[in-house]
Amino acid sequence: MKNIFKSILIIFFLTATLVGCTGELDNEPIGKLTENLVDTELAEVTLEALVSSSYQPLNNTLNGVVPGWRWDLGTVFRNDIVLQDIASNDMNKKWNPDGDQPWMDKVSDFSFTSENQAFNGIWVYDYIGINRLNLGIGFLNDEETVQNAGMTEARKNQLLSEAYFLRAYYYFDLVNNFGDVPLLSKSPESFQEALDASLRSPKEEVLAQIALDLTNAKSLASSAKYPDAVEPWRASKGAIIALQAKVALFAEDWSTVLSLITELDDLGYYGLNTEYFDSFDADLEFMDNEVILAYDHQANETPNINNGIRFVIGWGFFAPTNDFMNAFESNDPRLLYTTTGDAGDKRSPKLIGSRTGLIEYGNKVYIRYADVLLWKAEAQNETGDYDGAVAIINQIRERARTSTDVNGIAVPAGTLLDRPSSTDPSVIKGWLMHERRVELGFESQRFNDLKRWGTASTELSSKGFQNHHNLYPIPQIDIDKSGGTITQNPGY
Amino acid sequence: MIKKQIIYNLLFVGTLLFGSSLIAQTITGVVSDASGALPGVNVLVKGASIGTSTDFDGKYTIDNVKENAILVFSFLGYNTQEISVNSQTVINVLLTEDAQSLDEVVLVGYSSRKKSTLTGALSVVDVEGLTKARTENVAQALQGQVAGVQVASNSGAPGGNFEVSIRGVGTIGNNTPLYIIDGVPSRDISFLNQSDIKTMSVLKDAAAASIYGARASAGVVLITTKSGAKGKMTLEASYYYGIQNATNLPTMLNADQYMDVTEKAWNNTFTGTNPYTADKGRSDFGDTNWLNELFNPGSSQNLQLTASGGSDKIQYLMSLGYYGEDGIVVYDNDKYQRLNFRTNINAQLTDKFKVGTNLQLTYSIQDKVPSTGESLIRFALLRAPVIPLYKDVNDPTYSVEDPFTDMPFFTPSGYDQGLNRTMYEMVGNPIAQAYFSDDRTTKFQTFGNIYGEYKLLKDLTFRSNVGIDLSFYHDKTFNVNYGDDDEGADGSIDEGLGRRNRPNNLGELRGEAFTFTFSNTLNYLKTFNEKHDFSAMVGTELVSNYESFIGASRARFPYTTDEFRYLDQGELSIDVNNSGNASEYGLFSVFGSTSYVFDNKYMVTANLRADASSRFSENNRWGYFPSVSAGWKISDEDFLNDVKWLSNLKLRASWGQVGNQNIDDYSYLELLRAGDIPGKERFGNPDLKWETSTQKNIGIDVGLLGNKLALTAEYYRKNTTDILLPVGLPGIHGDLAPTIVNAGEVSNNGFEFSVNYRNSDNEFKYGINANLSTLTNNVEKLHPNVPSIVSDKYRTVVGQSLNSYYGYRMIGIYQNQAEIDAYLSAGSGNTQPGDIKFEDVNSDGKISPDFDREFIGSSIPDLIYGLSFNAEYKKFDFSLFVQGVEGVDKYNDGKKIVDYDTRPFNYTTAILGAWDGEGSTNSMPRVAFNDNGSSSVSSLFVEDASYFRLQNIELGYTLNGIKGLQDMRLYISGKNLFTSTDYTGLDPEVSGLVDNGTYPSSTSILFGVNVKF
Repeated sequence: MKNIFKSILIIFFLTATLVGCTGELDNEPIGKLTENLVDTELAEVTLEALVSSSYQPLNNTLNGVVPGWRWDLGTVFRNDIVLQDIASNDMNKKWNPDGDQPWMDKVSDFSFTSENQAFNGIWVYDYIGINRLNLGIGFLNDEETVQNAGMTEARKNQLLSEAYFLRAYYYFDLVNNFGDVPLLSKSPESFQEALDASLRSPKEEVLAQIALDLTNAKSLASSAKYPDAVEPWRASKGAIIALQAKVALFAEDWSTVLSLITELDDLGYYGLNTEYFDSFDADLEFMDNEVILAYDHQANETPNINNGIRFVIGWGFFAPTNDFMNAFESNDPRLLYTTTGDAGDKRSPKLIGSRTGLIEYGNKVYIRYADVLLWKAEAQNETGDYDGAVAIINQIRERARTSTDVNGIAVPAGTLLDRPSSTDPSVIKGWLMHERRVELGFESQRFNDLKRWGTASTELSSKGFQNHHNLYPIPQIDIDKSGGTITQNPGY
Repeated sequence: MIKKQIIYNLLFVGTLLFGSSLIAQTITGVVSDASGALPGVNVLVKGASIGTSTDFDGKYTIDNVKENAILVFSFLGYNTQEISVNSQTVINVLLTEDAQSLDEVVLVGYSSRKKSTLTGALSVVDVEGLTKARTENVAQALQGQVAGVQVASNSGAPGGNFEVSIRGVGTIGNNTPLYIIDGVPSRDISFLNQSDIKTMSVLKDAAAASIYGARASAGVVLITTKSGAKGKMTLEASYYYGIQNATNLPTMLNADQYMDVTEKAWNNTFTGTNPYTADKGRSDFGDTNWLNELFNPGSSQNLQLTASGGSDKIQYLMSLGYYGEDGIVVYDNDKYQRLNFRTNINAQLTDKFKVGTNLQLTYSIQDKVPSTGESLIRFALLRAPVIPLYKDVNDPTYSVEDPFTDMPFFTPSGYDQGLNRTMYEMVGNPIAQAYFSDDRTTKFQTFGNIYGEYKLLKDLTFRSNVGIDLSFYHDKTFNVNYGDDDEGADGSIDEGLGRRNRPNNLGELRGEAFTFTFSNTLNYLKTFNEKHDFSAMVGTELVSNYESFIGASRARFPYTTDEFRYLDQGELSIDVNNSGNASEYGLFSVFGSTSYVFDNKYMVTANLRADASSRFSENNRWGYFPSVSAGWKISDEDFLNDVKWLSNLKLRASWGQVGNQNIDDYSYLELLRAGDIPGKERFGNPDLKWETSTQKNIGIDVGLLGNKLALTAEYYRKNTTDILLPVGLPGIHGDLAPTIVNAGEVSNNGFEFSVNYRNSDNEFKYGINANLSTLTNNVEKLHPNVPSIVSDKYRTVVGQSLNSYYGYRMIGIYQNQAEIDAYLSAGSGNTQPGDIKFEDVNSDGKISPDFDREFIGSSIPDLIYGLSFNAEYKKFDFSLFVQGVEGVDKYNDGKKIVDYDTRPFNYTTAILGAWDGEGSTNSMPRVAFNDNGSSSVSSLFVEDASYFRLQNIELGYTLNGIKGLQDMRLYISGKNLFTSTDYTGLDPEVSGLVDNGTYPSSTSILFGVNVKF
């Protein structure tokens, strides 16, 4: 029996030693970045990257935010163009209808369900931005982290300003598309906390957060036109004020719209470009007077930030509706800048940044001064300043008719004559609606405009629009993943 | 081991009769065993073709026996006796029980048991029978052999993988069984050479498997490889050659039919001038049958050489195997080749000390064409027949290097890829894809063990086993640039290149994986007072794994012939990438097993294993897996002694727990994203712990007529709790990877029956092996925040089986507008007559995803079965193997995209039966370029994938008496010759929930020869 015990001992000794020696079960994970490795000391470039990368969901790069050609998730590119231009009566999915990407057709004819990937796409893009920003805002507000990173106070304030602005931008987009949405203002600490935070907040709370973020952003922003001369794409004080004005416009708070635009004008940077196309021309990026916020597309960068809409257009997508083409007055040069048409090469120079080709580096314009001016006109019209409103409309028309057309040829005389003066607000509003449609065509403004004017139900009724479509459905995939704590909008 | 003294006891109770000339005579007699007459004993005249069997009283009569003949008395479970007639006419025989065969020793994990005393659910695979399955993959050989084991291939491509599930799917994650080959664990057995396998047993219940603890919840398959036999030296050679053909291909439309259908689709969708009408009869059109172009006969061959033998002290076996398969896709770019070497040696160094090794080297080369998902098979189904295979030689884009059509209808001027391209050209040229494919995986694997066994005492053995599984793999893919320039690279440095693989590029990945297993056991085996068999085993084991890889790629190779497809030849300044990483895990275990058998009648076994795994945080590192089982051999009770026909009756019952740790390494850790965009990659779960499967099993073994007929029936309940569930957060938290939580609970239960009948009574010998099992799978519980695991076509919810298909139920076709208006009273959208009518479940007059979708199919079969039949007559032998599953559905996405898509892909001829006006059909919607309802996930595409398949049939002929040979067997074998199924996809057997049109399975005819020297 002694032998038995001896050998049992040997065995356990052998293996126990082996385990002890190799520490097999407690090895540090290979190639995995765990929280305790990096939590305390973040490099300055990391803090920078947190904010810079939060711009990415604004880009038109194919798979630029979510990799893998996920047409099924609607994340191949940012879906504004589907939700705004195709959903309204401006744009068809393709020049020749076919069965490709049928989900876009379903947005177009309002036969979509909550499973349509268009909604998931924009939802995911906006929330990816918000999450990166929440993390960045958290770190940038932590003095120790900032100090350890060796970041200057000015740089920190600049980045925080941008971060607050972007978060407001994404939430504003979400509120307009979906109404009540989950409001996350900090990164959850744990899995359970994240699950518990998966609830929709009333639209008013989200708007309050947007207002707060924009106020904070403005207070931290420098007053330069480009806060960072090397990276002029960073959100500026102008962009912050413009977004505040847009928020007020959507809330029909007309006096605030007017005062904010005055504040914007006081910066002294913005006006209409001489040429309509200058706002879009890839050769004039960040050298014009009109663009207030744009995503800076570049060719041949790693990671890729090119303008991927160029490919989608190349596949025959994004054709104007006849209704849209007919909305343009004769010889209006803006038409061919918006779409070169069936007879032409079926491009959209505005979306590409080139009069002649399909380039990859044309910027995506989000806010430009012509848009702002038309908000002002709208507010003036609503507050009884009819002459002011008509003057702005004519200012826009004048710039258009004095621009050369897409071939560089002057527009014939008699084109886009001035609107006469009027004191009938509904007549002026009609002019304004028309002007916004042709001036801002394909710039993903249209469906929101129709909704806030309350004209979607008449303009789009033949397409199948019903009142509940004023809010898009919450993506089913997230309702499912939340276990139903995220609820659906009525009508879906 | 008790070694029974084998007693030969021959009784001659006869009389010499008549003369002694070589006259044929009639012989009679009685065959009995120790307890009386034996019915059913085979009596044969050696070397002649006459024979009989004993009747119920053990009596036999046999005519025409020459006086110098030898009679052979054989009966399953008894020692065979040969008796010279020597002019006797009455020969009575007493057969003795063959202790060896009754008490066949079965490996149960770290120790062996007599089969008759097993108490768990363990199925021994008939390895001899498997040889005839002629499968290149041992996993496939398990198909249909064992009740409760389901095997399905993931693709018919050469070297394709197989999914094996034992007793259903008990988890939401990885359900791969654990294989133990000569004591060394593996999750894959594709590297094994089937001819090397000696025994294979499947441990199904927890009592059998719990000795493997944390890794055993998906079942365990124990495999041992062959070894040499004492004293006998044999050399065997075998070879076969097979021809394969694609099978069950659909009939596609020809060019004229295609133009008619697309014309109609356009008319059903748009108004105006139909461009397809105008294009009819275009002179540059071809009429290509893409499927015919894609497939040509393939071949397979297998060569096997085995030498074995040994002395009393040393036994050896050496084998060399080669298997090669050239797939059924044109050109030579889909192939699988495997070379195996094996050396098994056992040496008795001293009376007490024994050492041995079982070592295998495998080298395999797999050449792949895209065969699943976006496969070239899918492209061959979809590409329009009007597009010719090759370009016209006068086409300005024609080149000898790339003569294939790509986008012939593409208008190069401007950017109008819209109309002309999408009229016909939707997918690439599959033949070009097959031609240009260069995607090779090579793998070199060393697998085996070295053991030492020392008898400490007479009854106590110490065994130490060191196992290694070391593999090196190399993936190399060269993507040749080809196709037409779609101007997609204008303005970049790749301007002017073809659109496919632009620019050309080479990716290489080299990796290694090393698993080291070190186990030590003490085995105690003792019989007290002849009636008390006691055994005990304790042991420890360490498993440690390290894997790493390194990868690199370059692009823009100036020369692209084979000899320049190396990284150095690529452009160095841009698009140079490299990668590399590693991972490791460890598992340390202590385990023990004890059993007690009283009088060979009553038996109990208890196991316990404790496992510590690096895959869990220190909070939950150790897991404990116990099991108990008991058996009662009723047939050995005195009151059944008189029942002669009942040779075995045993009841078994067991309870036990096994675990699953089959998750990625480091799953419990919270991870941050490395790289450009900081942030969380996923939340961690410090409380992550083992998934536990609790199983109850009852079984009954019945042997009749001297075990000629053996029946086994089992019933089990398997409940898996704390399932390791990847729970994804809503998208509002950004692009996080899912966190693994212990959440789900899944139950499986089922009956398993197997029947084995062997009749070797006379010259026509045959055996039947049949098994059948039922399976009921149910999800009992999920995470509170994850009431369902949702995918677009199937979901997992409580109360349904795992991954049940979910969508709308098609109830017909809208025949007219009135029907639409009546049914969709709350809004019909763009629904037109001819569209699919879905069931409005809540009758609210509209079809909505929230209320009108339902479960429309089950992806888990209700029933699986297999039957093999073997027969021998004189020098001929014959075998047949059929197998099938019942009560399973599959989502036929291939059908959806071929016949129901809204793009102008080609169609099968089924489209000719599409709805075409009121009353035409109620089962297939109108053909259209806008949605006819087919874009929704619906029951239309959920098809019954039950099948019955003649997997194998073989006829052989054995030649003896050739000089220099022991014997030689020639055979012809047919694989997959017949399938009965309602499934309309390429292959109902292929695994996977969604069938996108994979590489189809093929039928094959093999010719082979086995030679024994």
